[in-house]
Amino acid sequence: MSSRRRPSLGLDRFSGLYLWALFVAVFAIWVPHLFLTAGTVHSVAAQQAIAAIVAIAVLVPLAGGTYDLSVGATVNFATIMVTVLQSNHSWSMWPAIIATVLLCALIGAVNGLIVVVGRVNSFIATLGSASVIAAFQAITAGQAQPLPPTSTAWSALTQREVLGFQIIVFYMLAIAVVVWWGLARTPAGRYLYAVGGNAEAARLSGVRTGRWTWLALTTSATLCGVAGVFYASLSGPSLTFGGALLLPAFAAVFLGSTQLTPGHVNVWGTLIALYALATGIKGLQLVTGVQWLPDMFNGLALLSAVSFAVWRQQGRGRRRPRPARDTTDEEASGREQPGAARPQELSLNQ
Amino acid sequence: MGPRLSAGATDSAARGIPGGRAPALEVSGLRMAFGPTVALDDVALTVERGQVHALLGENGSGKSTLIKILAGYHRPDPGGRVLVAGRALSFGNPVNAASLGCRFVHQDLGLVDTLSVAENLFLTSGFPARWGTIRWARLLRAARDDLARVGLDLDPRQPVAGLSPAVRTGLAVARALRPGAGNVALLVLDEPTATLPDDEVRQLLATVRAAAATGAGVLYVTHHLDEVFDIADVATVLRDGRVVASSAVPDLTRTRLVNQLLGSELDEAHASSQALPPPRANAVLRVHDLAAGQLRSLSLQVRAGELVGIAGLTGSGRESALAAVFGAVHPEGGDVLVDSTPLRPGHPRRAIDAGVAYLPADRKAHGGIMSLPAAANLTLPDLRALWRPPMLRLGAERVEARSWFSRLDVRPAGAVHLPLAALSGGNQQKVLLAKWLRCRPRVLLLDEPTQGVDIGAKAQIHQRIVAAADDGAAVVVSSADVDELVALCHRVVVLRGGHAVADLSGPALSVPAVNRAALAAER
Repeated sequence: MSSRRRPSLGLDRFSGLYLWALFVAVFAIWVPHLFLTAGTVHSVAAQQAIAAIVAIAVLVPLAGGTYDLSVGATVNFATIMVTVLQSNHSWSMWPAIIATVLLCALIGAVNGLIVVVGRVNSFIATLGSASVIAAFQAITAGQAQPLPPTSTAWSALTQREVLGFQIIVFYMLAIAVVVWWGLARTPAGRYLYAVGGNAEAARLSGVRTGRWTWLALTTSATLCGVAGVFYASLSGPSLTFGGALLLPAFAAVFLGSTQLTPGHVNVWGTLIALYALATGIKGLQLVTGVQWLPDMFNGLALLSAVSFAVWRQQGRGRRRPRPARDTTDEEASGREQPGAARPQELSLNQ
Repeated sequence: MGPRLSAGATDSAARGIPGGRAPALEVSGLRMAFGPTVALDDVALTVERGQVHALLGENGSGKSTLIKILAGYHRPDPGGRVLVAGRALSFGNPVNAASLGCRFVHQDLGLVDTLSVAENLFLTSGFPARWGTIRWARLLRAARDDLARVGLDLDPRQPVAGLSPAVRTGLAVARALRPGAGNVALLVLDEPTATLPDDEVRQLLATVRAAAATGAGVLYVTHHLDEVFDIADVATVLRDGRVVASSAVPDLTRTRLVNQLLGSELDEAHASSQALPPPRANAVLRVHDLAAGQLRSLSLQVRAGELVGIAGLTGSGRESALAAVFGAVHPEGGDVLVDSTPLRPGHPRRAIDAGVAYLPADRKAHGGIMSLPAAANLTLPDLRALWRPPMLRLGAERVEARSWFSRLDVRPAGAVHLPLAALSGGNQQKVLLAKWLRCRPRVLLLDEPTQGVDIGAKAQIHQRIVAAADDGAAVVVSSADVDELVALCHRVVVLRGGHAVADLSGPALSVPAVNRAALAAER
């Protein structure tokens, strides 16, 4: 087998970075006075920080092959809950935040129980729980959208500027580093990827698959709670914001799984994908100003990312003669064709 | 609701079987080689209309190759000839095989559980429809005819999910014989009873007889000698790619058939060379009266340093034995003790912590995580040594994986970062074996450790298994390859019909002895 990797520019694994650079170049030439400003950089970074945290929340269970479709509803719930506690119930900031995040962790724990103990398909389970969470949100909010808390500490929580960026950007990066560490540098992450790769093989290797799936869903909802709190502080309470986050988050994670460590969802690939898309959207908005761009862009990105992944798998399948399991021994000896597969760097430790 | 033999067999002439009175199948001069391995050598065979023709042979005798040639999957070497109802089969063409009237019922029956009997019958041939709407009355009528043809007394509206295995096989036979799908000259049944419980075999044999009575020739591949005497008119035995004998069943005795199957080795002159006396030590693994799936009762004691083989035909319970010992599946009864401590079933983690390692037979589905790097697969069961909080020591992991790669000669050398899927089957298997050897298990359970592995890798895997036993592990190997077991093990336990029927060791351990114990089933 020619295990030596061909020298390459990494067009494959780093295509997101190239795409990002292309967007920057195109809009820098097209609308330099609007696009090439520190303001644009700061606003894109801050506007996407919440979406990035939600994408990371989606990523954690997805590494273990579990879908969490309740992220949007959980973010919304957290937004309303943290606001209501402060504005309507006069809680101070930190107790309200802690209570909200804990409640969201509880949501995740329940999701996890339904999936692990109840053995309900995660897609269905979290779709259902999303609806229930939305109902709880309406109960919490009452009829009207609550008023935002007035304290300056509350808005400073996310809006304080550091190096020109709103501090939320650094919160997001901190979360990204922690989740990257968890997934790529701890046994927990290894177990989670193993469950996502082949749950039965992982179980037979001694991985407690249920425990890690449960923990991943709990982590996901907790991160959504944090994202919701940040959103409420950044932009004020919203009854509908979270729902709009679901698709961009999945688009970023799937697109990100084609990056850096192809075939595995990963934190930095997700962030690259998210910010590359956001840059493209921002540039086009500066040029045209139409409203439907994000929907169109994110939708197409999701479709093309998944199609690309499928195409690539099939391509690989064609190149490699399938080792037939049911062949009898008379053929087996002649059948092994070591190394027909394409050598490909693929590891968790990028 | 057992199937019955249909009262009157349809007259073959009335059904307009193509080719007049030519035999259903005539094979002559068939030869096929895979590289240097000759799978079939000058094979000749004739299946008459209305006859059940049994095809027997050990694993590797060429049965599967012959069937795959008939199905148009393999293209034999030039010079051979296959006539189906008098018409020449064009090789390597599945459509041609079907249009000449060949029908196949494989072990995987291809039934859809959620659909009804009638829907399954029409799944392959298309539904009778008018204006795109299925004509249910006509469908049900035709389905009843199809079922009656093979003597199955079934409600065609019944879902397939609730049917017993034998009836399902019968249904697959009925579907293969549907006249709507073209005239049937030859029906090939590939080990139809391999996974059936004893009491259901009888039901299926009635269906096969009814199928032959429709005028088709039936080529019946089996391992079970009793079935040959129950239903076959003629039995052909393949050994090492050659037809050893083709005899009318009434002229046969069981002993003669066994002799034909196993050849001249029957004198047991060459007992296994490696059958060393097992070391004297206390039993590490004790299995008592274990039952799971087709395994009815297995009791076993394995001492430290001992290599014990488990042999048995498909359906003997051998396939589920080691999974049940490990607790990968929930056994229906029995105990497993490691060092006198009972193992709780269904908890692989606890079994591993107790020092048990289990290499499953199905590498892709249960063994490895194909998308993860080889190194990650290798270290998955035990990451403790690599976990220095707050970081997993990836460098140390790579070094350790490389050393295992070189110890087991995994190719490409040092490619520990490659996903497991990128390695060849033999190398994957070495990685998965290394994964368990790394845990230094006290009990090593190996299910088909060299299945689909090339000869070189096979020898290396065997060396490692022997070395593990020398280091004091209690090793149990389950394999369909009797030669492998005899060469490797101190002692071989033979399963038949879910029970251990022989425990061979020392001079009594030989390939023919194991084969005879596995075959001599009295159903």
